[in-house]
Amino acid sequence: MIEVQNLQKIYNVKRRQSFFKSYKESIEAVKDISMKIEAGQIVGLLGINGAGKTTTIKMLTTLIEPTSGTYSFDGINAIENPSFVKNKINMIAGGERMIYWRLTAYENLWYYGQLYGIDNNTLKNRIESLLQMVGLEDKANLPVETFSKGMKQRLQIARGMINDPKYIFLDEPTIGLDAVVTKELHDEIRKLSKVREKGILLTSHYLAEVEELCDYIYLVNKGELVVEGTKKDLTEYVYNRKQYCFSVQGMDENIIMRLHNYLISLDIDVEIVQQDDRAIITSKFELSSALAQFAIKENLIIKELYEIEPSLEQAVIKLSQQICREAESIA
Amino acid sequence: MNNSMRLFSKVVWAEACKQHRNYFNNRAIYISLFVWPVFSFLSAYYSYSAFDIRGTFISYLSDDNILLFLLIGYMAMSFFRSVVQSAWRFSMERQAGTLEYIYLSPANRMAVLLGNALSSVFESSVVMLIFGIMIMYYQRNALNIDVLGLISVMIIFVVMALLWGVFLNACFLYSRDTDFLFTVLEEPMEIFAGVKIPVVIFPYWARVISLIFPLTYILEALREVCLNHADIASVRIILIISIAIIIVLLTVTLVTIRVVEKHMRKSGNVILF
Repeated sequence: MIEVQNLQKIYNVKRRQSFFKSYKESIEAVKDISMKIEAGQIVGLLGINGAGKTTTIKMLTTLIEPTSGTYSFDGINAIENPSFVKNKINMIAGGERMIYWRLTAYENLWYYGQLYGIDNNTLKNRIESLLQMVGLEDKANLPVETFSKGMKQRLQIARGMINDPKYIFLDEPTIGLDAVVTKELHDEIRKLSKVREKGILLTSHYLAEVEELCDYIYLVNKGELVVEGTKKDLTEYVYNRKQYCFSVQGMDENIIMRLHNYLISLDIDVEIVQQDDRAIITSKFELSSALAQFAIKENLIIKELYEIEPSLEQAVIKLSQQICREAESIA
Repeated sequence: MNNSMRLFSKVVWAEACKQHRNYFNNRAIYISLFVWPVFSFLSAYYSYSAFDIRGTFISYLSDDNILLFLLIGYMAMSFFRSVVQSAWRFSMERQAGTLEYIYLSPANRMAVLLGNALSSVFESSVVMLIFGIMIMYYQRNALNIDVLGLISVMIIFVVMALLWGVFLNACFLYSRDTDFLFTVLEEPMEIFAGVKIPVVIFPYWARVISLIFPLTYILEALREVCLNHADIASVRIILIISIAIIIVLLTVTLVTIRVVEKHMRKSGNVILF
């Protein structure tokens, strides 16, 4: 298991004032992040505004040394033993960089395999099975520069698996890909976690992607952990109110006004917004039976009545707005 | 071969193969690697024809072997120049993002840099080497070689060129702003290491500068054993200095590799480009 506690990273940056003058500035990219990743689990790392996701991932991959905090990797102190960690992890980043374009897919994988000291027979078999896994077995001997964006990304996945890592760090793996390729990659990521028992940390700008793939999510903002939990936990944390969609035949402003008055008469505080022929009702209370009773009382035929489950995307946007408002009020 | 040596050699070979496929996949590059040094060599040779060098006090330089004097200088220079260029090219891996993956792996950093230098030294210099050997054969009467001396000097020369390359590679990795080293090291090395003009006739200040470049020492030894029939005993002082330079280069390189990685992990600049 990967476990980090109170991870912090401060960069000391030299800023130039003029040709002869410069000054040093400390930038706290990560203030305080604690998290866990277990084998077979997909963990999401979501950031709101320049949150420190990349710095966090680079610290977990040992490319960057934390300023303070602890990092335990399968019980070993990872900060003092980066070589131990390097053998058991790999990273897959989005985009078209980080592979050698003039080399073939096979040569790229062979090169990276050699860096991990994998013996030649094992490496040959692994390259063949990885190319098959990502559907590039027919393109093995073509230069990467002839590949489409999706093919390059699939090669990145194969490269990230070359040392058969226990944990994989995925940094925006589907950036710039079309929907079909994205779906294929999502299937691969799911297989890596659920079939091959890899522990995965995923960062993404696409909230729907995190929502679809991740078992557990950490939401960070300005280098600090804001909230953590499953998708359900996060949405519930943000939405302490329920939302209902209610629609009847002949829905108009008059019906909405009568509905509003009816709910107030029951001492229920609500907010109603009309959207086409639907009423979107927000309240702290459970409203299903009250809405059904209103329809019976008014002799209305119900077309739709259901509770709206908020998406993670909505939750994050709402949370982001809340944080901005809080920051403004402090200022 | 023990396991760590096996892993080390695997990485050296992989890096050399990768550099070969990445930069030498078009055969036209060999023409460009050959044409420019040859033109430069010929221009130096014809520049000499304007002067009478019979009266020079340099023991191994005469009208008969001036061509070989310059040729040895340019052949040696092509080895050393190739490693400066390879170091500069390797720093491009930062932009490509591939450097990040190299540092993500447990591969021995010295092996990676050595593989890069090895590929560059031999591939970039091979055409110039063939050309040089052909001219030497044509001018064989002007050669005055001590074979044992030449073999010893050549071994030290190759080791020194490789280590110079590895050292520069490590320096170029320190930061994305080390490209200036390319300008500082490439042209001045040709001017001050005695490639075209023997260092002994330099003014004092230029001789001081020439001491910086390892090429200065080993080139002098090469010319002595090729043109003056100097044996190991005659060039022993230069060889001792060269071996000392190799030891210093190796030590400084190993320290630089550690310092660079520590600096990268602290500053995060492995991911900046």
